[in-house]
Order: sequence, then C-alpha cells, then structure tokens
Amino acid sequence: MSSKTVESRSWFEQLLQHEAPVTNEPAVVDEERLAARAAVQELPLPGRRQELWRYSSVSEIFEQSFEPATEDLDVELMAESGDWLLPDTQAYRLLFVNGRFAPALSNVQELPEGVRLGSLRTALHADAQSLAIWFGQAAKHDTHIFTALNTALMHDGLFIHLAAETKLDRPIEVMHLNLAPEKPLLIQPRNLVVLERGAQAELTERYRSSGDSHYFHNGVSEIVLEEGAELEHYRLQMESNKAYHLHQGFLAQGANSRYRNTTLALGGKWSRYDLQVRFKAEGADCETNGLYLVGEHQLTDQHLDVLHDTPHNSGRHNYKGIAYSSGKAVFDGRILVAKDAQKTDAHLSNKNLLLSRRAEVDTKPQLEIYADDVQCSHGTTVGQLDPQQRFYLQSRGLDADTARKMLCIGFASEVLESIKREAIRDYTLSRMQGALDNVIEKLNEQ
Amino acid sequence: MSTASDSVDELIKRGYEHGFVTSIESDTVAPGLDEDVIRFISAKKGEPDWMLERRLKAYHYWLEMKDPEWAHVKHPDIDFQAISYYSAPKKKGDGPQSLDEVDPELLATYEKLGIPLDEQKALAGVAVDAVFDSVSVATTFRKELAEAGVIFCSISEAIRDYPELVKEHLGSVVPHADNYYACLNSAVFSDGTFVYVPKGVKCPMELSTYFRINEAKTGQFERTLIIAEEGSEVSYLEGCTAPMRDENQLHAAIVELVAMKDARIKYSTVQNWYPGDAEGRGGIYNFVTKRGDCRGDNSHISWTQVETGSAITWKYPSCILRGDNSVGEFYSVAVTRGKQQADTGTKMIHIGKNTRSTIVSKGISAGEGQNTYRGLVRMTPRAEDARNHTQCDSLLIGDKCGAHTFPYMEIRNPTAKVEHEATTSKISEDQLFYCQQRGLSEEDAVSMIVNGFCKEVFRELPMEFAVEAQKLLNVTLEGAVG
Repeated sequence: MSSKTVESRSWFEQLLQHEAPVTNEPAVVDEERLAARAAVQELPLPGRRQELWRYSSVSEIFEQSFEPATEDLDVELMAESGDWLLPDTQAYRLLFVNGRFAPALSNVQELPEGVRLGSLRTALHADAQSLAIWFGQAAKHDTHIFTALNTALMHDGLFIHLAAETKLDRPIEVMHLNLAPEKPLLIQPRNLVVLERGAQAELTERYRSSGDSHYFHNGVSEIVLEEGAELEHYRLQMESNKAYHLHQGFLAQGANSRYRNTTLALGGKWSRYDLQVRFKAEGADCETNGLYLVGEHQLTDQHLDVLHDTPHNSGRHNYKGIAYSSGKAVFDGRILVAKDAQKTDAHLSNKNLLLSRRAEVDTKPQLEIYADDVQCSHGTTVGQLDPQQRFYLQSRGLDADTARKMLCIGFASEVLESIKREAIRDYTLSRMQGALDNVIEKLNEQ
Repeated sequence: MSTASDSVDELIKRGYEHGFVTSIESDTVAPGLDEDVIRFISAKKGEPDWMLERRLKAYHYWLEMKDPEWAHVKHPDIDFQAISYYSAPKKKGDGPQSLDEVDPELLATYEKLGIPLDEQKALAGVAVDAVFDSVSVATTFRKELAEAGVIFCSISEAIRDYPELVKEHLGSVVPHADNYYACLNSAVFSDGTFVYVPKGVKCPMELSTYFRINEAKTGQFERTLIIAEEGSEVSYLEGCTAPMRDENQLHAAIVELVAMKDARIKYSTVQNWYPGDAEGRGGIYNFVTKRGDCRGDNSHISWTQVETGSAITWKYPSCILRGDNSVGEFYSVAVTRGKQQADTGTKMIHIGKNTRSTIVSKGISAGEGQNTYRGLVRMTPRAEDARNHTQCDSLLIGDKCGAHTFPYMEIRNPTAKVEHEATTSKISEDQLFYCQQRGLSEEDAVSMIVNGFCKEVFRELPMEFAVEAQKLLNVTLEGAVG
C-alpha cells in the first residue's frame, strides 16, 4: 500500500472519529450507520486509477481536513446571505442550513392530506419502521465510499413523501444553504424523496453558500418514484469559490413513472454530481438535462449512470458545458441496457464549448448494450464559438462581446428551455447572463 | 423468426475454414519463460548483444507489471509458464535462400490458405512475407523491391543486416514499458516483418504478411516495424489464421509505424484467427499493440481492419499526430459471434497543428458475441485547429449479444473541433421489408444491409482484401436476421 492510500484512508477515519458509532437514533438508522462505518474502512479509495475518478481528482480534498458540521446554526447568519428567496411566492419553502432543517425560515404550513415535507431526521424518529422500505434502498452504502461516509455520519436532510394519488398543487422550493465562516466543514445532507403511486410534484433545489465559505459537501439524495408517479426536478448549484461539492443522486423509477430533471452547475471550486438511474419496471421515462459553466481554477463533473434493467423504458439525456479560463469540465455518462431490456429507447448527448486556451473538456459518453431490439445513440461535440456566426452577428452591428454572449446564451438556452416553470427559467437565465458577463470579461483579459 | 434464429445457430456452428494443422517437424522450445528462454531465442536468431540486452530489460520490467483488467473482456488468467515462446519449422541447412528451398509442406499450407507465395502465380503486385509460428519462412518479390530501394524482410534479418535502422526505430513508437503485453512482446518476440521505404520512393507493389500459428501450446509474438522516409508511400496488408485447437493460444504482437515528412502509410488487416468453438473452447487471444507515429509534417497513417476471428480481440491501432497537418485514420469492422469477445478501437493523439483524424468503427454482434469500441481522442494544448470526427455504429443480431461503446475525449485546445456519434440498433424491419418487397430473399436482404453497413470501411481496403473481407463477412453472417 502506498503512503498516499494510507493518507486518504486515514482522512476518512479521522472524520469517523468525530462521532460515536451509535447515537440513539432509531434502530434502523443505527444499523445503517454501523454498517456504513465498517464499509468506509473497507471500500476502495477513490483515485486517478479508478475509472470513476479518472478526470476529477479528489487528492485536493484529502489534503485538507474538515470537521463534520454538527451544530445548528444561528438563523441570523442566514439573513446576510441575501437572495435566497425565489420570486415565486406560491411555493412551499424549506430551508436547510448545513444539511439541517431550519423550520423558522421554512414555510410548510397548510399541507394537503397525504403530504409530508420537512426534516428526514424528524420523520425517521417519528416513524422509522415504515420509512425503512425506502431509506437506504436506492443508495446502498456498500458500493461507494462517499455514500458510506454520508450514511455513517448522517443527521438530517430533506424529506418529501407524497401518498398515493396525491397531486401537489404548489411547487416545493428547497434551499440548501452551506455556511462555514470559521473552519472548514464537512456538510452531509441526506435527502429522501418518495412519491407513491400516481403522485405528482415539482421540486426545485438550490445549493448555495455565503461569502467564501470553505467546506466539503458530501450529499446523498434518494428519489423513489412508484408506479405512475411524476416528478419535475430542478437542481441549481451555485456555491462559493472555496466549496467542494459532491452529491450523489439515486433515482429508482417504478412502472410508467416519469422523471424530468434539469441540473445547473454554476459554481464551487470543485463540484461533482453523480446521478444513478434504475428502472424497476416497464414504461418509465426519464429525461435529464444539464448545463455547467466552469472558469478559473474550477472543476465540474457530471456523472450519469442509467441502467435499463427492464424493457420498454425510455431515456433522453442532454448535457451542455462551457469551459473558460483554466476551468475543467468533465462529463461521464453511461447507458447500460441489460439482456432482457428490449424496446429500450435511450439517447445521450453532450456538447461543449471550449472558450480558452487553458480550459479543458473531458467527456466520456458510453453505451453498454446487451439487448438487440433497442434504439440507442450518443453524440458528443467539443469546439469553440463558430467564427462565422460571430462575424454574422457583428456584421449586423453587434459588438464583439455582445455577439459572443449571445452565442453562448443561444448554446445554453436549449437546456434552460427544458425548465417549464417560468419563474425558475427566468431566474436561471438571469444567473446565466450574469455569469457570462464575467466570462466575457475574463476572456478579454487574456 | 424461428427460421432466422435457426440460421444464426447454424452459422455459429459453421466450421472454421482454416482450421487444419500442418504436420511439419518443428523446433519448439519447452513451455515456460525465464531469462534462459530469452537468451535462447536471441541466440537462435543470432542477434547482437544490444538486442539481447533490450529483451532482458523488457523482461525484468514485465515481471514487475500487472495483468491489465480494464478491458471489457472476460477470460481465465493466462498461465505464462504454460506457453512455448519459440517454435520454428526445422530448417534444412541454413534456412531458405529462395522459394525452392522452402519445405514443400509449408508451401502447401500457404497454398491452402490462399496465399500466393509462388511468384509465378502471385496476384499481380503483392509481395508476401509469410510467418509460420515464430519465424518468417519466405519473402517474395525481393528483387523487384530491392530495385526500388525498398527493404522488405523479416525483422530477424533486419536486426542482422540493418542494425542501425532497427536500433533507431524499434521501440521508438511502442516502448517496452507501454503496456503488459507489449512488454512481454519486447522480451520474447520471435519474428515479424521489417519494411523500409527510402526517401521519395513510392513502393511499387502492395506488401503483405501472412501470419499462421501452427504448433500447439505456442504463443506467437511477432513484431512489425515499418519506416516510411520523407515523401515515401507504402501500403501493407496483414492476414492471420490458426488451426483449430481446444486450448487458447496467445498472440501478442506489436506493430510500429513511423511516417516521416510527407510520407504515407496504409496498413490493412484482415484478422481471422481461430475464434474457438460454439461453446467458447479454444481460440486465439489476440492482444496486440499497434501504433503509428506521424513524425513529420503532412504525414498520413491509415489503419483499416476487418476483425472476424479470435476468441478475444484486444487491440487499438493508434496514431500519434506529431507533425503539423498530419492525418490519422481508423476504419474498422469487427464481427463477434459464438462466444467471441472484441474490445477494439483506436487512440488519436493530436499534437501538431492542423492535424486531422477520422474514426469509423462498425461493430457487428451475433450469437453471444460481445463487441466493444474503446477509443481516445486527445487534443493537446498545441494542437491548433485540429479536427476529429468519430462515427461508431453497432449492429445487433440476436438477443444474446452485446455492443458497447466507450469513447474518451480529452480536449485542451479551444480551436480544436471534436465530434463523436454513435448508434446501436438491430437491422431495421422497415429496411428488411423494403428489400423483400422488391423480391430479394430474406438472406440476400440481410447480406445487402450488412454489407452496406460496412461499406465505408470496405472501400478503404485494397482490392484483394476487400474481396476477402466481404467473403468472410458473408460466411460469418449471411442469413442472420435480427
């Protein structure tokens, strides 16, 4: 064993020492935590030689020490963080600070029957037995060391449960606010979203941080869609330039369920989102769209792993990336169609704009197919802005910067337009425009 | 549907045409690998000391290496001590000086294989170097080639006769530390082909090597080196067969191409090693490292391969596009049926300005075959205005096979442009219906569609090979309906 692997193993072990192995949670949770704790000590360590970590190096994270965020933070601190409200006032709002539910600034009053919204910790304490059929089922702690770490030290996170045939009339808006003003923290939200048969919901999740908070976010989300359930899911990640953000989403789709997702990654020093999709029965549909923008000293990595285990499921996955300055954009998508998953329809696309000399794009769209009656494709492109298009716009009287910005917005809008709710679409568009002003400025400096 | 699957099954059971064994007395070293074996091989070849030193260095490095596990193939561990690393037909006297001296049994073998060794009957314009187990047995058209200044001989002869050229270039494209099997090859390679085309010479004929593994329990480790000097041009063909045996045999070759300024190398392969029987017993493990170095500006290297044989194919003919404006091409048809596995593709490393690469990969899987495309396109920061276009298509025939695509793209230059497309599907029922409705039988329709699917690659092959490839494909797949 090399000294490096010893170091990274002890990085995990040090984190585990911050807490007692068992903390009087419900038995189900304690068992999970104990098993996960053992798994952290045994699972393979992430490193360059592993395919899963080929392009996003974790060594930088292992060089720093983080302390698990265990305190409930003062609400006043949050007030400074400014615009954490979305312009839409209709929504049910939930605020999580460092992965912990902050009821004072949340609005989950007047919930319709069959709807539970709030803290996973509270829900588990109230009713661990009935949640056990979902909790820890999609996100197995014995396959991935960071999932195991999340489970071993889990405290709280988002909990959504819709009983059968419940259709939520208002969207759910969740703000995950990460604050680490003093010391580097390890923040580990654990989210569970369950939509039972025929339920419908729309969920917007935003990951933000204040100032230049320095932390490692190691989140896990489990999303369970039972037969005929539909979830519209927006995930907007914009964090500080000292933030390390790793989040793993595990999606389990039942028969005829429908999942639509748009993911935006616009910030953080190092951010990575892994989405794992598993189809449990026939007729389900999964659509994911992603947009990411990386600049100076930033890395973003989007991992998508879709397993078609059963026949007659469809998936469309469209990811776009823009890299400038010394930014590094990584995409790794895999569609696996198992032996009996006939009539699968799966398409994967990844397009990238490379705007600067020092920027880097690494992309790996994969198809693994064991059934013959399928329609599968993937496509990838990497290139710069088309000089002819730029010339065309300039010949119509636009200045060079506006032309560039317009082309970038045009490139991004395919993904932004997949957002159905207007308020969120406008919000992301204005965010994107703001970010692009910064990009153009940076490009002009070079 | 049942008739279709019947004919697929029938095809899977179809015999392997080249599966005969030639009874020739041969000189075979006992199985096992150690320093002595390497010294034995080197001595047998009458090699100079520097060559032996290189071999030993590679061997010691290999001992430290680990068997690679990343490929999408499954096979039991290979016992490297159970393989014989050298086998040669027993020579009469000092080895053949001309065709008349070659063992007539050997000539008959090549005749059975359809290799025109006999110069009189040779297909016009193809010079052949035939490699039997570990040694090169005959090279034709030497005189004509020598007149043009082209050196075409076995690598053993080259080490003896042109040591300076070999010393400079051997291992310069694939160093011994490159990968596990390349390292093994660097230690134990027995023979192979050497081609040197001097400055400004356009090689007057196609050059060709035919490889055959004959002896049981042997491995074949051949080594090919082609050097094209400034402004020269050469087209090289390679074919392979082996007898039917129920153990697995290892073929771990290295091919190195060096193209100087304005040079063009075209390398075509029709690989039809014994694929094993219907239950997956036997067959060749074809673990090959092929790489071309476009060293000079405006150089051009083109790989074309038709892979229908081998139990496992594991090879990535690659191009290092070092010179400005250099061009790399990779055209591939890989067919897997029965229990065959193929993990093949290419690497295009763009270093020079305005470099261009094209990748066209067609995978056909039938029976329980597993077909994988694995490719890398890397644009380094210096590769201004470089371009790549990749097209990977897979065709699935039957519901027990698999087709996989693992492309890697690493782009570090904003002026570079990279495009990748991949599709996977079975033969469309609409296409079949259309053809049948015009009066074609189901079998002809499938054959036509499959040939159309592969056309982009076949048209890159030299004439003789295109015919052979098409024939091979028909033998493998005709009548199969998805």
